[in-house]
Amino acid sequence: MRRNGVPSFDERLLEALSTAPGVSGGEEAVREAVVAAVRDQVDSLEIDAMGSLVARLAPAAARPAGRRATSPAFRPPHVMLCAHMDEVGLMVTAIEKEGRLKIRKVGGIDSRILVGQVFRVGASGLRGVVGTLPPHLIPRADRDKVTPIEDLYLDIGASSREDAGRAVAVGDYAVFDTAYERWGTTRKGKAFDDRAGCAILASLVQRRPPIPITAVWSVQEEVGLRGAAGAARRVAPDLAIVLEGTASGEMPGAQPGEAAPRMGGGPALTVHDRSLMADARLVDLLERTARDHRIPTQWKRPGVGGTDAGRIALSGAGVPAAVVSVPCRYIHAPAAYLDIRDAQRTVSLIWHTLETLRKEWP
Amino acid sequence: MPSENGRGTAEWLQLLTSLPGVPGHEAAAAAGIAKAFALHADRVDRDRSGNIRGWLDGVGAAPRPRALLAAHMDRIGFLVKGIEPGGFLRVTELGGFDTRTLLGKEVLIHSRPPMPALFATKPPHLQKKGESERVPTVEDLYLDAGRSEREIRRRVPLGTMVTLRQPPIELLGGRMAAPGMDDRAGVVVLLRTLELLARDRPGWDVVAVATVEEEFGVLCLGARTASEGLDPQLGIAVDVSHGDMPGAREGDTVPLGGGPALSVGANIHPRVLEGLRRAARGLKMPYQIEACPIGSGTDAMDIQIAREGIPTAVIGIPCRYMHTGVETVEPRDVDRCAQLLAGYLRALPVDWRATEVLK
Repeated sequence: MRRNGVPSFDERLLEALSTAPGVSGGEEAVREAVVAAVRDQVDSLEIDAMGSLVARLAPAAARPAGRRATSPAFRPPHVMLCAHMDEVGLMVTAIEKEGRLKIRKVGGIDSRILVGQVFRVGASGLRGVVGTLPPHLIPRADRDKVTPIEDLYLDIGASSREDAGRAVAVGDYAVFDTAYERWGTTRKGKAFDDRAGCAILASLVQRRPPIPITAVWSVQEEVGLRGAAGAARRVAPDLAIVLEGTASGEMPGAQPGEAAPRMGGGPALTVHDRSLMADARLVDLLERTARDHRIPTQWKRPGVGGTDAGRIALSGAGVPAAVVSVPCRYIHAPAAYLDIRDAQRTVSLIWHTLETLRKEWP
Repeated sequence: MPSENGRGTAEWLQLLTSLPGVPGHEAAAAAGIAKAFALHADRVDRDRSGNIRGWLDGVGAAPRPRALLAAHMDRIGFLVKGIEPGGFLRVTELGGFDTRTLLGKEVLIHSRPPMPALFATKPPHLQKKGESERVPTVEDLYLDAGRSEREIRRRVPLGTMVTLRQPPIELLGGRMAAPGMDDRAGVVVLLRTLELLARDRPGWDVVAVATVEEEFGVLCLGARTASEGLDPQLGIAVDVSHGDMPGAREGDTVPLGGGPALSVGANIHPRVLEGLRRAARGLKMPYQIEACPIGSGTDAMDIQIAREGIPTAVIGIPCRYMHTGVETVEPRDVDRCAQLLAGYLRALPVDWRATEVLK
């Protein structure tokens, strides 16, 4: 599907990225997959000191400007597009005498979902289950309490420290063991926050953009928006748009105001969250572009969450920044849902926004 | 233990745990188990309650006594009880799930064709203070199949069965984790026992019964009706026992790989237990004793009180994380349980009875 030269969303890449392990600080497998997908399309490709991937693309040869008249002096802005490669997961912190693995969370995981969950551990993807005492053996009063992670462990079936040590090491990461699936327009998979953004960004660079862009696949977003800071400094863009997978709000009994954005309702635009006041001119331009191209959009629930955009906005003398997100159900959980139409709509919205920016930017 | 037809114990565990079948809805499991039993039994039939019975004739002089081996084929699960606006589904629970493990889990709604879904609840940032520190109950949870309300209403009638959608996984040392090890692992023990006994038959007739509705909670319906129907002179239930886990009190669990767990207590006839211990020693097989002071919580509870009272024993397969999606067993323990049962039954004198005539 290619309308008006808009690149198609690469779903096979989303599947590959969703399945790849990449907990904050261990994004190598995801980075390799992105490199393979974009290497031939970009002008330069670098891995920065923290591990973020930075790709630069010069615009296509000048074409006559559109209907809107532009002054010859107008220089289109240099845009940074950013999506983070890392996902929430676990780290092995110790191997016990009996071969059990002690674990800690990396990033925000709801403790309630851990018990009985299957994880893939280390580079080999060895499977382990999160064990704890069964309810039959727990005092009745404690049964409805959430077990703290200190009392949980990964059981890989090892019978001793030596046995386990042959397969895993302290410091290994573990990710949810979730398959990618297609049900109608719904897609189910691991780590759509933010492999959805990574795949959208990789899809966008398959075509030469109308203005200069630098694409950044950042590291360590889930542990404090850390990777984007250095990358933004290096890129020093005129403005930035962050591509995210964000939490959608629909659920039984949702109150008005809780229920947005909705999966399948189009890309969600951020007004503000805990990390950022989105640049109002940029948000206005995104919204206007969406309207012009009949792309449905919605508002992300204000005031919650935080993204790399918060870091990028504070970079150097300041960078106008905005966030465009694919609404996903159940982010930070073993399996999330998104609507594949929202991914293509986000590609289209960003593409058309770059075209708009070729003609105007205050 | 390799099998005659080439299927190993791990493979059978994988196959049988993957069959659905919550209490009262065992048909799919029953069909698969009947086929498996038929590989080794002389006859296989289904009784009026839905129990699957694999018959193996003994070599003693007729009329021969009859031993009943029971493992339940139902597994814990859910039924759809309501559909909410937006297409979200509410379920009712069959058998006591470890509710701490449900949130975020994938399930299969057994519509035609089956439909995958997820257990979900209000996300942390929309909860009231304190809510996220409590384990959500089944009432707090809903299923999200990622489909329109219209499609859900068209395809999912109320009462549709729902099971955890966790494929069996292999861990180090050949250990296996899957939902439904409780008690499909027991059914595999029965299957292996039939296989061993068909090769070298005991004096007694043996009926291996995959029972229905053990997890229903009121009574072990299948075990009760099977015992009434068969009038056995001996009944042995094979079920899972809590495996070793850190934090468990001494005596509450039995180690994985430690061999069959033999229950001791009021539900167990001491002479049957003694016979099983003797058989284990004869086979030079490790075994463990599990104290069940009040009840065993297995089919043996209802076998024991059927007819005029039936001498019973319980053989336990060590299993970690019971009533979750990752019930974990060691196939070697499953093999040993079968070898023990076969050894015990072969050594059983044809005239052995628990009843004693004193005068």
